[in-house]
Amino acid sequence: MTMRVLFYGHLKDVAGCAETELKLAAPADANELWRQLAGRFPEIARFRTSVRLARNCEYADADERFTDADEVALIPPVSGG
Amino acid sequence: MNLEIEITAQPIAPRREPPEETRGRLGALAKFSGIVRAEENGQAIAALEYEAYPPMAEHVIRRIIEDIHRRHPCDWVRVAHRVGVIPVGEAAIIVEAAARHRAEAFAMLTEFMDRLKQDVPIWKRRALTAAELPAPQKP
Repeated sequence: MTMRVLFYGHLKDVAGCAETELKLAAPADANELWRQLAGRFPEIARFRTSVRLARNCEYADADERFTDADEVALIPPVSGG
Repeated sequence: MNLEIEITAQPIAPRREPPEETRGRLGALAKFSGIVRAEENGQAIAALEYEAYPPMAEHVIRRIIEDIHRRHPCDWVRVAHRVGVIPVGEAAIIVEAAARHRAEAFAMLTEFMDRLKQDVPIWKRRALTAAELPAPQKP
């Protein structure tokens, strides 16, 4: 299986796509996820401090573990309403 | 509590009345509409474009409403958020809350809007000028 990663807001422009897929060898933490994303989308790493990760439609905790079966979204600061 | 959540690319409007099954229990019905204004960051605009992560937005909206409901019980809440290109003067969001008394209904609207702007994955993507409006929406 592959992990589906979704980009929203300006991150879509930074990544140049709305989503991508990552293949994880083992369950990964947020640091590993960001490392893989930065390898593919170097520009995206500088937004890390303002972006929250969501795992399967829930905001991820700091110690969250991610697997290939997850849908992960990068959530920049929201501005609805 | 009866909760309705709608994230749609179509124009949104308030319900004419709360659901029939709540009739007789309600003493207050409060409605909030968030309308697109003709300026954004000091620039004249014709529309705003919104995008959402719909399944998560619905999930987070439900969580927030249920949390507020525990402290400010309401019989019926409806949240409708429009996405896509929304022309000036039209609603981006409508929140309706019905309760036994006005305090709960007002509290629901106020607290929900504050929390929506912190946690619900919906974004203003860009402001559009009149020249940038899609053809069917040009004035």
